[in-house]
Amino acid sequence: MSKQIRNLGVFLAVCYVALFLQVNRLTVFEAETLQDKPGNNRAVERDFSSPRGDIVSADGVVLAESVPSDDRFQLQRVYPPETADLFAHITGYFAFSLGSTGVEREYNGYLNGDDIGFDFNRLDDLFVDRDVVGDVILSVRNDVQQVAREELGDTPGSVVALDPRNGEIIAMWSTATFDPNALATHDFDAAAATSEALNADPERPTRSRSYQERFFPGSTFKVVTATGGIERGGVTEDSPDYPVSDSYQPPGGGRPIPNFGGDSCGGTLFVILQQSCNTAFAQMGVDTGGDNLYAAAQGFGFDRDIPFDLPGGVQSNFPEEIVDDPPLVAQASIGQNDVQATPLQMALVAAGVANDGVIMEPHVMREVRDDQGDKVADFDEDAFAQPMSPSTAGTLRAAMESVVSDGSARRLDDGLEGFAVGGKTGTAQLGTDPPQSHAWIIGFAGPPGETPHIAVAVIVEAQPGASEQTGGQVAAPIAAAVMQRALAPPAEAGQDDQDSQQDGGSGDGG
Amino acid sequence: MTTASRRTTELGLLVLGTMFVVGAYLLASVPEDSDIPTSVGPFLGIIVGLPLAAHVAVRRFAPHADGMLLPLASLLNGLGYVFIVRLDEAKREPDGLAALQSVWMVLGVAAFVGTLIVVRDARKLERYRYTAGFVGLVLLLLPLIPVIGREINGSRIWVSFGPVNFQPGEFAKLCLAVFFAGYLVEKRELLAINRAFGPIALPDPKHLGPVLIAWGVALVVMITQKDLGTSLLFFTLFLVLIWVATERASYLAVGVIMFFAGGYLAFSAFSHVQSRFDIWLNPWGKTKGYQVEQSMYAFADGGIFGRGLNLGVPLKIPVVESDMIFAAIGEELGLLGAAAILIAFLLMIGAGLRIAQQTTSGFERLLATGLTTLLGFQAFIILAGVTRLLPLTGVTLPFVSYGGSSLLANWVLLALLLRISNDSAEREAERLAAGQLTEIGGR
Repeated sequence: MSKQIRNLGVFLAVCYVALFLQVNRLTVFEAETLQDKPGNNRAVERDFSSPRGDIVSADGVVLAESVPSDDRFQLQRVYPPETADLFAHITGYFAFSLGSTGVEREYNGYLNGDDIGFDFNRLDDLFVDRDVVGDVILSVRNDVQQVAREELGDTPGSVVALDPRNGEIIAMWSTATFDPNALATHDFDAAAATSEALNADPERPTRSRSYQERFFPGSTFKVVTATGGIERGGVTEDSPDYPVSDSYQPPGGGRPIPNFGGDSCGGTLFVILQQSCNTAFAQMGVDTGGDNLYAAAQGFGFDRDIPFDLPGGVQSNFPEEIVDDPPLVAQASIGQNDVQATPLQMALVAAGVANDGVIMEPHVMREVRDDQGDKVADFDEDAFAQPMSPSTAGTLRAAMESVVSDGSARRLDDGLEGFAVGGKTGTAQLGTDPPQSHAWIIGFAGPPGETPHIAVAVIVEAQPGASEQTGGQVAAPIAAAVMQRALAPPAEAGQDDQDSQQDGGSGDGG
Repeated sequence: MTTASRRTTELGLLVLGTMFVVGAYLLASVPEDSDIPTSVGPFLGIIVGLPLAAHVAVRRFAPHADGMLLPLASLLNGLGYVFIVRLDEAKREPDGLAALQSVWMVLGVAAFVGTLIVVRDARKLERYRYTAGFVGLVLLLLPLIPVIGREINGSRIWVSFGPVNFQPGEFAKLCLAVFFAGYLVEKRELLAINRAFGPIALPDPKHLGPVLIAWGVALVVMITQKDLGTSLLFFTLFLVLIWVATERASYLAVGVIMFFAGGYLAFSAFSHVQSRFDIWLNPWGKTKGYQVEQSMYAFADGGIFGRGLNLGVPLKIPVVESDMIFAAIGEELGLLGAAAILIAFLLMIGAGLRIAQQTTSGFERLLATGLTTLLGFQAFIILAGVTRLLPLTGVTLPFVSYGGSSLLANWVLLALLLRISNDSAEREAERLAAGQLTEIGGR
C-alpha cells in the first residue's frame, strides 16, 4: 500500500503544481489581456471607490473634486456648480457606465495615483496615511474662461485662447455645454437618461465645438494661403501686386470668384490681407499651386491628427482631391469649397504666425501635484509643427498687425492699447436664405517687441447677414476682451474682490 | 520525535499562524479609521482562543499526534474568516455571514475536540463500517427527499430542518471514507485477484460489483442533484482507496474509463453538464460564465503582490465568500497569497499521507488515505474551478470557505487524522519500549 500512497502523494502534488502554474498565468502572464477584456469593469469600479485628485484651474479654482458619499462607492465626484458647465468640455466627466471623458479620462492615471511614483523620502512616510493621488493643475484660467462665456453669451460658438510660446490653453469655451454632475451621479438610471437626452439634443452639448466640431473657416484661411504663397509661391511683401478687380477667373473655366458685395480690390500682400481680397487670394492660391497650398495647410495641422491632451478631437480638413483642379483650388484659397477647420486649428494658425513659425503642442494640463503640493509631473512641452520659416512668420505677423491697424480687424485691439495686436477676420457664408454666416476672428497680442503671449480664435455661429464686416464686428470684440483678460495677471481664487483692480491695472498699462 | 517536541512545534506554528491572521485582520480593518475596530475583542477570541483550545485538547487527548495539521488548518480557517469579515463589512447590507461563520468555527472546534474525546481508538470505527456506509448513502441521497430537500444555486444538495440548512453530503464523505476503508480492508485480497484477458490483466468481473455501485451512486448524485463536484469527489475517493487497498492499478484504469464514459453520457444527455463545459472553454460574455469570468479578472487585478487587503473589489464575484473565496484571496493577496494557500494544502496532504504511511493498521492506513484524499482533492476541485483549470463545480474550499456543514465536517476529519496519528505513534512507542524490555529480559 505504501507505494500507492506515495504515488497518490505525487499525483496530488502534480495537481497543485498545475494550480500554481495556472495562478501564475492569471496573475502575471495573462493579467493584461484579462484586464483589457471588454467585460472587465473592475478598474473603473476600483477607481470609483478610491481617492481621486482634484482638477484645478491655473488660477487655483477647484473644478472637480471627490467628496465622501454614503453609498457603496464612498466617494462622489463633484464639479462645483460655479464652474461645472463652464469647464465641462475640459474636465469632462467621471461616470460609471458612461465611462469618462476630458481630463478625467486623459489624466486618469495621475488623478487616481497609478502613474505617480511614491518615493519614500523619509522613513516616516511609510507610516503616514497619505493618499497617493495627483491634483491636475490646468493651464486654463477660470477668469479668462468666465470672460469668454460672458462675451459669447448664449450664442452657439467657440473661443480658444492659448499661449503661442508653449501651447498652454488659457481658455477654451464653447456653447452649448452641459452639467457633468448629471452624468457623474451614482444614480445610474438618471445618468443614462441625461446622457440620452444630451445625445438627442441637436446642439450636441457634450461635444466641444472648440476641437470636436469643424466649421468653414472663411477668410481666416487666407493666412494659410499667404503662408503657402510666401513659402512656396514666391510671394513677398512687395510682389506680386495683384490687379484690382471685382472678380477672378481661374484657368480651366468654372465659376469666377467675386469679392464681397462685388467690390473691387487688389494690391500687395498687406493690402489684400487688410481688405480680405478674394480675387487676389484666389489668384495667389492658383499661382502657388494646389499641391503647395495643400502642403501649407497640412503644415498647420489640416488633414492630420493634432496632438492634444483631450480625447476625441477631430481633424481639420483640406480636400486633397482638388489640388489639380484650379477652379476648386481658387475656392479653397479663400476658405471655401470643402475646407473645414476646428476653432483650435485656427487658433494654432494664429499661434504659428505669432511664435516665429513654430506651433507648440496645445495642451490643457500644466502640472500634477501630490497632496503635499509637491510637483510630481509637468507637461512635456514640444513643438508640434513648423509650417513656415521665422522670416515668413515675421512678414505675416506684420501683415496681420496691419489688418488690425488698417484693415478689417480694427476692433481686435479694443482695450489692448499698448500691446502689439494682429489678426484676421473671416465670414463663412452658409448659403442659407435669409443669408447667414459664421463670424470668425483669429489673432494674437502681446507686449511690443516680444513674442505674443496670447493667440486666439473665435467663431460665432450662424450670424445674420453675409457681409465681410461680420467677423470684425461680432467676433473681434469677444477676442479682444478675452485677450485683455488673458494678458492681465490671473486673479487668485478667493480674491474676487481684487478682480476689478487688476482689470484697471491692465487698462492703465495701455 | 518526542511528544513534547511535537506539541511545542505545534504551539510555535500556531502562534506564528495566529500572528499572521491577526495582522491580516488589523490590516483589513484599521485603514478605514485609525481606531481599533470595536469588534476586535470577540474576533481575537475566535482567532486566538479557538486554536489555543484545540491545541490544549490535542495535548490532553492526542499528545503524540502530528504537529503540523492543526496549525495549518487554523491558519486556513483564520485567513478565511478574515476574508469573510472583510467581505461582510464591504457589503451595502451586511448579511451577518461573519457572525455566523464565527459560530460555525466555535462549533467546528467543539466537534474537533468532541471527536478526539469520543473516538479513543480509530480502529474501533472499523466495526461500524456497514452502519457508516448506510448512513453515508442516506446522507448523500437525503436532499432528494421532497419537503426537506432544497435546491440552492442550482444544486439540490441542501436539507432544511426548520431554519437550519445543511449539506449532508459533507458528512456523507466522512461516513463513506469509514465504510470504504473498512470494506476494502476486509475484501482487499479477494479484490486483488486479477484475471488475464489476453495480455491485459483486469479485475475479475464478479468483483467489479462494488465499483459499479460506487459509479452508479456517483452518477445518480451528479444527475439528480446536479452536483458535479461531490460526485467527482466521491468517485475519486472510492477509486483511490480500492487502488491503494488492492495495489492493482487496473482498478484505476477501469475507474477512469468508467468515469469518462459516465461523464460523456452525462454530457450528451444533460444540458447543465454541457453548459458547464461550454463555460469552461469560453466563459466570456455569457450569463453563466459571469462567475468564473469575474474570478479571473480578480486574479488578473491581484498580480504578484495583490491589491492589498480591503483594497480590491471582490464583491463583484458571485458567492465569493463560499466557493469562490480563493479568487478574493488572489485579488487582495496576489500570487504570493494564493501560493501560500496552495502550499498550506499541499503540506496538509503531505502530513495526512505521512500519517497513513506510519500506521501499521490496514484500516487506519486506508482511512487516513481516504480522509487526506477528501481534503486534498476537494480543495483541488474548487481551486481548479475558480482558476478555470477545470470546469467550475461548486464545492467549498475546506477550512477557508464560508459554510457550517463543510467546516464541521472538516474539523471532524482533522480530528480523525490526528487520532490515527496519535495512536500509531503511541503503539510505535510501546513496541519500542516492549522491544527494549525484551532485550533487557533476554540479557
